[in-house]
Amino acid sequence: MAEVLIKTSNIIKDFGQKVKTRVLFGIDLEIQSGEFTSLIGSSGSGKSTLLNIIGALDRPTEGHVVVGGTDLDDLDDDGLAYFRNKTIGFIFQSHFLLPQFTVLENVLIPYLIYAGRTTKDVEKRALELLDMVGLSHRRDNRGNAISGGEQQRVAIARALINNPRAILADEPTGNLDSSNTEKVFSILRDINREYATTFIMVTHDRNLADRTDRILELSDGIIIKDTGTSDCVKSPFHASQLYSFLVK
Amino acid sequence: MKSSLRFEISLARRFLEENKIQTIVIILGISIGVAVMVFLTALIDGLQADLITKTVGNSPHIVISNADSASAKASKSLGENEILLIDTTENNQRPIAEWRSITEALSADSGIKTVLPLVEGSGLITRGQVSRSILLRGFDLEQADLIYDISNSIIAGNQNVSDGAVLLGKELASDLGVTAGDPLQLELSGREPLTVMVDGIFDLGVSAINQRWMVMDQRKASALLGIGDRITSIEIQITNVFEAEQIAREWAVRLPSYNIQSWQESNASLLSALNSQSSSSYTIQFFVLLAVTLGVASVLAISAVQKSKQIGILKAMGIRSSSVARTFMFQGLFLGISGTLFGFVWGLIMSQAFIILAKQGYALLLKPITSTIIALSTILAATLSAYLPARQVSQIDPIEVIRNG
Repeated sequence: MAEVLIKTSNIIKDFGQKVKTRVLFGIDLEIQSGEFTSLIGSSGSGKSTLLNIIGALDRPTEGHVVVGGTDLDDLDDDGLAYFRNKTIGFIFQSHFLLPQFTVLENVLIPYLIYAGRTTKDVEKRALELLDMVGLSHRRDNRGNAISGGEQQRVAIARALINNPRAILADEPTGNLDSSNTEKVFSILRDINREYATTFIMVTHDRNLADRTDRILELSDGIIIKDTGTSDCVKSPFHASQLYSFLVK
Repeated sequence: MKSSLRFEISLARRFLEENKIQTIVIILGISIGVAVMVFLTALIDGLQADLITKTVGNSPHIVISNADSASAKASKSLGENEILLIDTTENNQRPIAEWRSITEALSADSGIKTVLPLVEGSGLITRGQVSRSILLRGFDLEQADLIYDISNSIIAGNQNVSDGAVLLGKELASDLGVTAGDPLQLELSGREPLTVMVDGIFDLGVSAINQRWMVMDQRKASALLGIGDRITSIEIQITNVFEAEQIAREWAVRLPSYNIQSWQESNASLLSALNSQSSSSYTIQFFVLLAVTLGVASVLAISAVQKSKQIGILKAMGIRSSSVARTFMFQGLFLGISGTLFGFVWGLIMSQAFIILAKQGYALLLKPITSTIIALSTILAATLSAYLPARQVSQIDPIEVIRNG
C-alpha cells in the first residue's frame, strides 16, 4: 500500500460569528501519495471548504489535518504560508496570473516569494514546465496577453514550480470550453502519472471525475460516497454525522 | 539582503509600473510639494542670510567693554538709602588698561577672525553756525578695514589713509558742508576745543554710521580724549556669526569683569523677526508634508483595492502577510524618493527662474542641511502614509478572493 500523504480526522467547519452554520461535519479522510482524487458534490456541499482546509488556506473549527507528517494545527499563520508555498500547488477556477509579470516570471513567482532571485536550474525547470503545458513560445508575453486556456496552463506550471507534494485544484476547468478542458485535464493527468504528484480536484464535471482514481462525493458536509480505493475511508458515516445530517 | 525582501521590492516596482498614470500623477503631486518647500526655504534662507550679512557683515559680532560703567555700577551697588549721581554728559565707558594682553588672548581663539581694540568718545563738531554731535572712533585703520573696509569706502580725499588722518561720515560732512581739506572745530567732553582738518570722507552704506562717525588713528584719538595708552572697547568678528553668543559666553567666563555683548543681543528684534519668518516656513512645510501623506495614502488605498485579487493569489501561493505589507511600504518609499528627486529638480528650476526674472538683490540659499531635512521628511512621510493601505492588504483573505473569482 502506498504511503498516506494527507490525513484528516474529524474535520468540522463552522462559518459565521453569531449564527453559526456548520459546513463540514467531521470529515475523516486519508489520501495516498500519488493518488488522483476528485471531490464532487452540489454547490454548498462543502467540497471547496474541505479543499481549502487540506491546503492550509483555512483552519478547521475542530479536527486535525496532517500533511506529510506535519500537523497543520501546530503551525502559526506564517508557518502555514510557508507550508503552502513549499508543499502545496494550487490551481483555481480563475487562473489569477499577475498581469505585470511575464508568463515565465509568473511560473517562477512561488519560487521567488522566498528565494528572491532565480537560479539557472529553477529557470530551466520553469521552461520545462512551460514546455510541458505547451507554452514555452509564450514565455515573454505578459500574463494578461494570452488566452484564458493558456493562462490556466501557465497556472498549472506555476503550481508545479516548487515540486509540491500535492496539487489542489478547485474547478480548474470551470471557466474553459470543452477543448481547453480536455487539454488542461490531460496535462494534469500526465503530471500525476509522470511525477506521481498527488492531486485533489474539485469539479462539477462528472465525466472528468470518472477519469480519476477515486471519487469522493460530498453532500451537506459529509462524504456520502467513496468510489475507487475505498479502503481509505474508514467509516463514511459516524453516528453523530448521521444524526446531524438528519437533523439538518 | 534578505531574499524575500528582494521579491517584495520587485513586486512593489511592478505594481507601481502597472498603474502608470496613477504613479505619475502622485509623483508629480509629491514633486510639486517638494519644489515648493525647496523654493520657499531657499528664498527665505537667502533673504535671511542677506539680512544677516547686511547686519553683521560690516560690523562687530562681539563687543567687549568695561562692565564697570555707570549703569552697571547703579544696578550693582545702589543700596536702600543711597543716592547715585550719574554724570551722563561724561563719556561713561571706562577705559581698559590691560587691553594688549586681552587682545592677544582673543587673537589666539581659533573661532575669532578679527580683533579690533579701539578708543571711543562722544563730542561735538562745529563749522560756522552748524553743530553736530559725533562719535569719535580711534583704531588701527588697517585692522579696522577687516571689519569696516573703510579704505575702499572713501568717496572724497586721500584714498591712502595715513596715520593721523581724520575721516568723516558722508552725511555728517554734507550736513556741515565740509569736504576733504576743510578745517573743523572739535569739542570733546571735558576737553578744550581744537581745530582739526578733514582728510577724507567715507560712505559705509549705513546712515547711522555716516551721520555720526569721525574716524582717526587710535593713538591720536587717545591723545585727544586724554586717556593715555588705554582703550575703551574691543570689537570682534568671528568666523561663524551664529557662534557669537556661544563665544561671547565663553569669554564672559574668562573676563568676568567686562561687559561682553554679542550681535544677537544687540539685534534681538531682527532675530525675532527672522525666527517668525522661519516658523512660517516650517508651517508651510508641515502642510505640504501633510498633503503628500494624504495623497500617497489615498493612491495606495485605491491600489490596495485594485490589487486585492493578486494579493489573494500571492497569499494562496504562500507569501506572508508581513511581506505583503512591506510591498506597500516599499511603494510608498519609491513614490517618496522619486517625488523628492523630481521635486528638487523643479525647485532648483523655480529658484533659477526667480533669480533671473525677479532680479532681487540677494541670492537664494539652499543649505545642505535644509535640503536633507526636506528630502528625508518627504520620503519618511510617503513611506509612513503607506502604513494604513499596507495593513489593509496584509489582512486580505485569499479564500474570499478565490471564492469570488
